[in-house]
Amino acid sequence: MGRYAGIIMSEVPAVQVNRLVKDFKGSFRGGGIRAVDEVSLSIAPGEVYGLIGPNGSGKSTTMKAVLGLVKPTAGSCAIFGRDSSKVDSRMEVGFLPENPYFYKHLSAAETVSFYGKLCGMRGAALKARVNEMLELVGLEEARHRRLRGFSKGMLQRIGLAQALVQDPRLVVLDEPTAGVDPMGSRQIRDLILDLKGRGITVFLCSHLLEQVQEICDRVGIIHRGKMVNEGNLEELTSMQDRTEIILQDAPPELLEQIRNLVDQANKGELVSEGHPRSSLESLFLKETIEAESKQKAVSAK
Amino acid sequence: MDDRLGTSFFSPRRAGIIALSTVTQLVRMKVFYFLAPIALLFVGLQFFDVFWYEGPEASQPQQELMMHKNLCLGTMMLFSSLFAIVSTALLIPGDIEDRTLYTILCKPVPRLDYLVGKLLGVISVIFVAMLVMDILMVVTLHYRTQAVSAELGEYLSAIGWGEEEVGQGQAEVASHGPSLILQYGVLAHFFKASIIAAVALLISTFSTSTLFTIASSVMIWIIGAVQSLAREGLFTKGEYGVEPGMVDRILGTIISLVFPDFQLFESVSDGAARAMEIGVFDMLHLGGLTFFYIAIYTVLSWFVFSDKEF
Repeated sequence: MGRYAGIIMSEVPAVQVNRLVKDFKGSFRGGGIRAVDEVSLSIAPGEVYGLIGPNGSGKSTTMKAVLGLVKPTAGSCAIFGRDSSKVDSRMEVGFLPENPYFYKHLSAAETVSFYGKLCGMRGAALKARVNEMLELVGLEEARHRRLRGFSKGMLQRIGLAQALVQDPRLVVLDEPTAGVDPMGSRQIRDLILDLKGRGITVFLCSHLLEQVQEICDRVGIIHRGKMVNEGNLEELTSMQDRTEIILQDAPPELLEQIRNLVDQANKGELVSEGHPRSSLESLFLKETIEAESKQKAVSAK
Repeated sequence: MDDRLGTSFFSPRRAGIIALSTVTQLVRMKVFYFLAPIALLFVGLQFFDVFWYEGPEASQPQQELMMHKNLCLGTMMLFSSLFAIVSTALLIPGDIEDRTLYTILCKPVPRLDYLVGKLLGVISVIFVAMLVMDILMVVTLHYRTQAVSAELGEYLSAIGWGEEEVGQGQAEVASHGPSLILQYGVLAHFFKASIIAAVALLISTFSTSTLFTIASSVMIWIIGAVQSLAREGLFTKGEYGVEPGMVDRILGTIISLVFPDFQLFESVSDGAARAMEIGVFDMLHLGGLTFFYIAIYTVLSWFVFSDKEF
């Protein structure tokens, strides 16, 4: 466990949302819209929390309220016990918006440095931190390139670097892999897992449910502004009345014996059997990495 | 992390960081390329004679220098004011549209720091641009003054004027050359452009489009230029000695409170072009007034922006 191991046991939640309501005024003729309706959630330090829901369900508004970008109509939000409408609560937060755009006239290193300076960093410490962040997101080679020529995946990674520059205890990610290719998506997912390993709290919302399932400890499902379900991912997704056994290199005779055992027991039912499938993402990554290795080998010859 | 920056409601250092970033942004947007045609214009003025100038025998040879100064100061005024409006109007809505503002405000950055930083950045670029234009004006005016003075000296000597009288004539011409008074005129335009930038900043905090911000700022610029005339009309007795009514008075008061009075700045600039006497205290007064306007518009911007949701 990382440097925040002690904090994980702390009583103060990393994020506390209490009965949050957010109404947006409508036009003169039309009525207003309730984007978030009495949403409550609590994220423990060191936890990876995923907020999922369809478009327009209130995910981003909830995130913006946590970050102090919108004012709650009712209810409250706090970050490590500090009212999130106060500027000082943001000392502990790094935020990566959906499809982030940064100043295109700045280079990668200048961008991270700019955000570091805004957090009060300077001198050798800032320089070292910028190098560390660029290395973390794999952009050392592009450090002097202006962001104007960056791909979506590179922008997303520079976004992560700026979010982490002041070493925050909480990272808020809004659709972190939106529009990123599977390779870039995998890198971002690995980075989130790395943050989790270091004890940093992650609050993310994503449409990619498979990815959310892979990295989140807990999830909240929001629909039409209301939290419809929330809890531990294992508890929410496991089918308590079913059991899965995966065998490696099992001969047909052994499988036949198992079927017979189930029949004889007269308790329970064999629902299905077959070969577990790899995900399309894994297949894609395997194929592209192999192709790249072959290409490199040919070039080396 | 350096705790000295803190998260108080305003940090000059953080505003400075944002100002520096704004300067870098504008410089990399190549805004200084505008200076090239202006430089050509100033140099071109060297070869341009006013139609009424008929050589040194004309009664007022300094007219040519006044025209040079008027055109230079006018160009500087136009460039600085338009630049102040357009750059300020583009920066904040641009940051909102690009979501760059999200990432900035999600750092411990008070909104006042952001606004002041943006404004200071624009004002700094205007300052540098005006400094370059000022140097160009002074250099070209210097050569123009020498040419006019030499031509006048030759002419007066040829028609039999004494050395002392020729010297007096040339001194009169020299008084219309580069001087501290002329710098006051440039400073007045810089002050005016800074106020216009603060006005554009205020409008951009509640505006929904860049076009609206630019159009409204230009309107305020024009109203500011003629508001003293409007005030005069609304506050003083009419042609037939009719006292202004209550509506006129209220309207006049609102205009003078809401819109900046740019006539004062124009008067200083005109005076500088005519080489009239302008005191240091007059300039201090103008500087104080500029500070007052900028402070008022910045505080109003802050009130609007502090409650703005993104």
